[in-house]
Amino acid sequence: MDLSLDAQTVEFQAEVRSWLAAHVRPLSSMNTAAGFEEHRSWERLLASERLSVVSWPSSYGGREASLLHWLVFEEEYHASGAPGRVSQNGIFLLAPTLFAHGTDEQRARILPSMARGDEVWAQAWSEPEAGSDLASLRSTAVWCDGGWLLRGQKTWSSRAAFADRAFGLFRTGPGERHRGLTYLLFDLRSEGVTVRPIDQLDGEPGFAEIFLDDVFVPDRDVVGEVGDGWRVAMSTAGNERGLTLRSPGRFTAAASRLVELYRKNPDPALRDRVVDAWIGAQAYRLHTFGALASPLSGPAASVTKVFWSELDVALHETALDLLGEVAPGWRDGWLFSLSGPIYAGTNEIQRNVIAERLLGLPR
Amino acid sequence: MTPEQLALRDAVRSLLAKHSDIRAAIETPHGYDKDVWARLCDIGVLPIPERYGGSGAGLAETRLALEELGRTLTPSPLLASTIAAKALLSLDDEQSGRLLRRIADGAIATLAWPWDGAEISAVNDHLDGVQRYVLDGDLAEILLVSDGVHLYEVDPDQPGVSRDHTPTMDQTRRLATLHLTNAAATRLGPWSPRIRDVALACLSAEQVGAAARALELTVEYTKTRVQFGKPIGSFQALKHRMADMHVLVETARSAALAVTDEVSAAVAKVYCSEAFFKVAAEMVQLHGGIAITWEHDAHLYLKRAHGSGQLFGSPAVHLERLRAKI
Repeated sequence: MDLSLDAQTVEFQAEVRSWLAAHVRPLSSMNTAAGFEEHRSWERLLASERLSVVSWPSSYGGREASLLHWLVFEEEYHASGAPGRVSQNGIFLLAPTLFAHGTDEQRARILPSMARGDEVWAQAWSEPEAGSDLASLRSTAVWCDGGWLLRGQKTWSSRAAFADRAFGLFRTGPGERHRGLTYLLFDLRSEGVTVRPIDQLDGEPGFAEIFLDDVFVPDRDVVGEVGDGWRVAMSTAGNERGLTLRSPGRFTAAASRLVELYRKNPDPALRDRVVDAWIGAQAYRLHTFGALASPLSGPAASVTKVFWSELDVALHETALDLLGEVAPGWRDGWLFSLSGPIYAGTNEIQRNVIAERLLGLPR
Repeated sequence: MTPEQLALRDAVRSLLAKHSDIRAAIETPHGYDKDVWARLCDIGVLPIPERYGGSGAGLAETRLALEELGRTLTPSPLLASTIAAKALLSLDDEQSGRLLRRIADGAIATLAWPWDGAEISAVNDHLDGVQRYVLDGDLAEILLVSDGVHLYEVDPDQPGVSRDHTPTMDQTRRLATLHLTNAAATRLGPWSPRIRDVALACLSAEQVGAAARALELTVEYTKTRVQFGKPIGSFQALKHRMADMHVLVETARSAALAVTDEVSAAVAKVYCSEAFFKVAAEMVQLHGGIAITWEHDAHLYLKRAHGSGQLFGSPAVHLERLRAKI
């Protein structure tokens, strides 16, 4: 496998690198009201150069970039120390679903404003009694004139404290568990919505509970067929588990920082772990570049999810051990890394998926 | 994979399914099945260009064959002959071409180079020193030696050369110790350190094949072994261990396929060695008592994993090299 880049890709890489070098600056945490707006402005700035969603069609604000160019963009993005993406839930989770199951009207209405950061999306999957067992969710959508009324409670909704809109699954019946669910979009500022932010281990509200009390959603905000929500949601679940949510650039950049840190704080007892973590990041990069030839999707995304989330924890724990104390620059990343094996389907669930769907082991 | 590569892989796989009997092969005086080797050469798995009488296969095709040989642990001169052929191809002149033609005709070749820190000294084209763990070292008709500076051809049948078969834990791999005492040598050209990377790429392909097969055998076993009225593969405690094995195999495959330079070769050597060892060790645990028997093949995978981890330098040696690079 040849990983050398063609001339066009090198040119794109240079453009991205120099633009980022000129524009990246530190922002406040996106989990504060002021920081959230700073991140929204950053998304607008990216969008003004068509760099917020490079792989999308140009009509929605993208550049129709290939997977290779997207990977290169991500590598440059993370290596530059650019801010986290406040639009992540929308562009990496909702958008692929709209491309696969949405209508032209929905794509035209929703995607350009998502690309510009004008509308920031939160996800609303989990409920207090439906975590790993998502199909046990209880929130309902009841048909009414011209639309649906949502009722129930969602939790662990990333970005919901400050976001504009949310997407989630609701029980519309008939049937139980995976049947009778519908994929709906709703406005977090609608009448009947109460958002209660939840502080995370860093003390900031990175997610929230959402209480829904007869919240009206018009018919045009149903994605896919009524009652087909499970299939609609799961067909793109691989995006969250797989490489779109966690591109290798994030880990190769962190691994380079770790090596730098080792140079400044050499501790022979930790050398092997530093190099092991660096090798892990390289292996993940090579694995995702391998996906250029044969795309990773469906259950194969579970393989990457287990790998990157545990790699991320190892990278950060090694850094902390080198520093001997929880230092700025690594602390937040470390705390965030702890959620990796939990969100997007816990790693225990992913191992079930690998065992049953890839290895064919009995249920 | 191209359609041609797929066909080659299938040809090798079906050949090995029909004719490879490793238990019989390791009991033969040479430790490999000459008939299987002849058939492999007929398929054209050696990376020798047509102008030297070869099949025109590239290293990618050879690595596919090595992956298949790894799956079945079939003892074979392919790894040694491939590395020797690539060393000769780095020179690509009349003298090396003559040797390449002989390899293409099925002559077993090997290359002894000082990967374990041994010292081969050359004075006036005469060599002295000891090199351990030379692949097929006592069988090879064509013996290449490097002192880290030049590549030499050494006539193995001269008084200054002695070669001792060195049995190791892994009976499926033929190794020998080479003693050179003022041995006359023909200097072929400069030594290219790139050959080490080629050797690591080939070895990691073999490791990935073996690891993948070890996992498959484990999955098959746990689907059929019944305890508490259910196949043990339905128990989550076992499923998750096999899921982790799968993650290791797939990422190791990516690392093995991606070797292009010194750093990626070292990454592949470290990663694939460790992945294969972990998978083989889990194979033993998940099989339970049957894996503790000589009769079952699990120990062969475990021993190959250990041996191939040490071959061409242990992961620790390559980690040290990587540390200097990054």
